[in-house]
Amino acid sequence: MTSGLFSKFNRVGAWVLLLFLVTPALIAIPVSLTPKRFLSMPKGEFSLRHFEKLFTSEEWLSSFFQSGVIAVSTSALATVLGTLCAIGLWRVSSRYSELVRAFLLLPLIIPQIISAMAFYRLWIPLGLLDSYAGLILAHTILAAPMVLITVSASLATFDPKLEQASKNLGASNWTTMRRVILPSIKPGVFAGALFAFILSWDEIVVTLFISKFSVYTLPRRMWNGIRENTDPTVAAAAVVLIAITVIAFVITSIMSRRSAKSQAQ
Amino acid sequence: MAEPNQTGSLQVRNVSKLFGTFKAVNDISLDIRKGEFLTLLGPSGSGKTTLLMMIAGFLDISEGDIALDEASIANVPAEKRNFGMVFQGYALFPHMTVRDNIGYALSVRKRPAAEITARVDEMLELVQLQEFADRKPAQLSGGQQQRVALARALCFAPPVLLLDEPLGALDKKLRVEVQEQLKDIHRRVGTTFIYVTHDQEEALSMSDRIVIMRDGAIEQVGTPKELYERPINQFTAGFLGKSNFIQHNGKTFALRPEKIDLRASASHPDARLSGTVRSVTYFGSMQRVIVDASDGTEIEVDIDVWRNSETLREGDAVDLLWTDDAAVELQMG
Ligand SMILES: Nc1ncnc2c1ncn2[C@@H]1O[C@H](COP(=O)(O)OP(=O)(O)O)[C@@H](O)[C@H]1O
Ligand SMILES: [Mg+2]
Repeated sequence: MTSGLFSKFNRVGAWVLLLFLVTPALIAIPVSLTPKRFLSMPKGEFSLRHFEKLFTSEEWLSSFFQSGVIAVSTSALATVLGTLCAIGLWRVSSRYSELVRAFLLLPLIIPQIISAMAFYRLWIPLGLLDSYAGLILAHTILAAPMVLITVSASLATFDPKLEQASKNLGASNWTTMRRVILPSIKPGVFAGALFAFILSWDEIVVTLFISKFSVYTLPRRMWNGIRENTDPTVAAAAVVLIAITVIAFVITSIMSRRSAKSQAQ
Repeated sequence: MAEPNQTGSLQVRNVSKLFGTFKAVNDISLDIRKGEFLTLLGPSGSGKTTLLMMIAGFLDISEGDIALDEASIANVPAEKRNFGMVFQGYALFPHMTVRDNIGYALSVRKRPAAEITARVDEMLELVQLQEFADRKPAQLSGGQQQRVALARALCFAPPVLLLDEPLGALDKKLRVEVQEQLKDIHRRVGTTFIYVTHDQEEALSMSDRIVIMRDGAIEQVGTPKELYERPINQFTAGFLGKSNFIQHNGKTFALRPEKIDLRASASHPDARLSGTVRSVTYFGSMQRVIVDASDGTEIEVDIDVWRNSETLREGDAVDLLWTDDAAVELQMG
C-alpha cells in the first residue's frame, strides 16, 4: 500500500505546487476589483472602475496597441527564422550542425540582463534605440531559439522517407518543404509562435534598457505604475495581460490539435 | 490502363558503393530489360536497398555508372529521374487524402486539375480503392496503404518502378493475395519493376528474373526455374529452396529434397546411399524425412504423402535413389 500512499502524496504535492505557482498571478484578479484608489484586497465590495479607467485611458490603450504590434511582429519573425534554422540544421545534420545549434541557443542561456546591456550598446550606433524596429529585433533574437527548439522537436519525429518520397515523385526542394515538411511539423511551428508571442508580450528587462518615450509597452507602463503610485489600474492591466496570454495559448492548442487530428483521421 | 512506355531498360555497369572503407555494393553489372519483373533477392545486409537507392538517385554512385536506355543518369537528381518508388513502410503523406497522395506527382508537375482527377480515378480503379479516395492513410489497413503507395508511384506512368520489400509489413496470408495483385498490375501497366525482397518464395513466384545477392555482389542471375534447377554454388542452392549437398569424386552436387526417392526395403540394387530414418515430420501436402546416411552425412527427403501411404518410422532402414539429372554439380564457394 506504500505505493498507493506515495502516489496519493504525489498527486496532492502536484496540486500544492501548482497552486504555489499560479497564486501570485491570480492575486491580481481580486486586487483589480477593489473599489479603493490604492492597491488593496476588496472587502465585500467589488468595482470595475479600474478596468473602466484602463480601457478609457489613452496611455494604457496605446501601450496595449504597442505591445500587441511588437509581440505579433516578433512572433512572426522569430517563427520564420527559427523554423528555417531548424530545417537547415536538420538537413545538414552533422557534428558541426550540433555546434551551430548550441551557438544559436545562446540567447536563451545568457542572463537577460546581459543581453539587455548588449542590445543597449549595440542599438545606440545603429539608431535602433527607443524604436519599434529595435524592440522587435531584440525580442526576435531572444525568441527565435525557442522556435528552433520546438520545431526541432517536431522534425525529430518526421520520417525522412516522406521527403524522399516527395522528391521521387518529382517535387523540388521548395515544393517538398511547402507541401510535405511544413504540414508535418505544424504543431512545433504553432508552439514556437506562441512561445515567441508570450516572450515578447511580457518582456520587461530588455525593454527597460532599450525603450524610453516613443515606445512604451504594457509591461513597461505597469512597471512604472507600480513604482510611481499604487494605482490599482496596474492590477487590471495584469488581468488583461494574463487573459490575452491564456487566449493565445488556447488558440494555439486548438490549432495544433486540429492539425494533429487531420493527420490521424 | 497506363500507356505502354517507350522506355524502361536500365543498365547497371560496374557499380560500387563505399560507406567509408566498407563496400556495401561491390562491382555490380546488370542489364534490366524494358517491362521485366526483376527481383533483387538476398539476405539482410546484402546491399539490395543500397543498390535500389542508387538507382532511385538518393545515394551517389561511388564507382561505375547507371543508364536508362543507354543514357547515363548518374548525374540526374532523384526528382528528375521519373522513377516510381514504393518505399519500405510506404511513406504515404499522412496529412493528405488517398486521392491527394496518388495525384501528388501530377500536381507537382502542374497538370490541369481535370486530367489529375481522371488519372487518379483510373489508378484508384487499378488498385480497387475507389471507395477510399477521401480517407487519410491512417484510416486504412496495411494492405490498403500498400496499394495506395503503388498507385501513387504508378500515377505518372514512370518507365521504371522500384519496390523495396513492399510486402514486408503484411501478414503471410495477405502477402500471397497482394503478390497476385502486384503481378496482375505489372502485366497490365507494362512498367519495368525492380523488386527487392529477402523472401525466396515471393521471388520465385513473381519474378521474370531473379538476381541473387550476397555481401554486395551478385551470386547468380536467371529465371526462377534456371536458378532453382541449376544453382551454380552452395549459396544459391541453399538460399533459393532447400538442398542437400553430396560429395562425390571430389566434386560437390546439389540435390533437392523432393528429387530423392526413398525405399523402405534395404539393399536395393540401384540405391545410391542407404541409411536409417532419424525423423519424420508431417506437413499435409508432403512429409519431410531426415535420414542419417551410412557415409555419415544427413540427407533431407520430401516425399509425397498421397502416393506413399506406407508409414515410415524412426530407426527404419532405407535406401535413397535418384536419377543422374537430379544432382547438379556446383562450383566452389
Ligand atoms: N548509410 C550507411 N552507412 C554505412 N553503412 C551502410 C549505410 N547504409 C547501408 N549500410 C551497410 O551496407 C550494407 C548493405 O545494406 P542494405 O543495402 O541496407 O542491405 P539490404 O537492403 O540488402 O538488407 C549493410 O551492411 C549496411 O550496414
Ligand atoms: Mg533493405
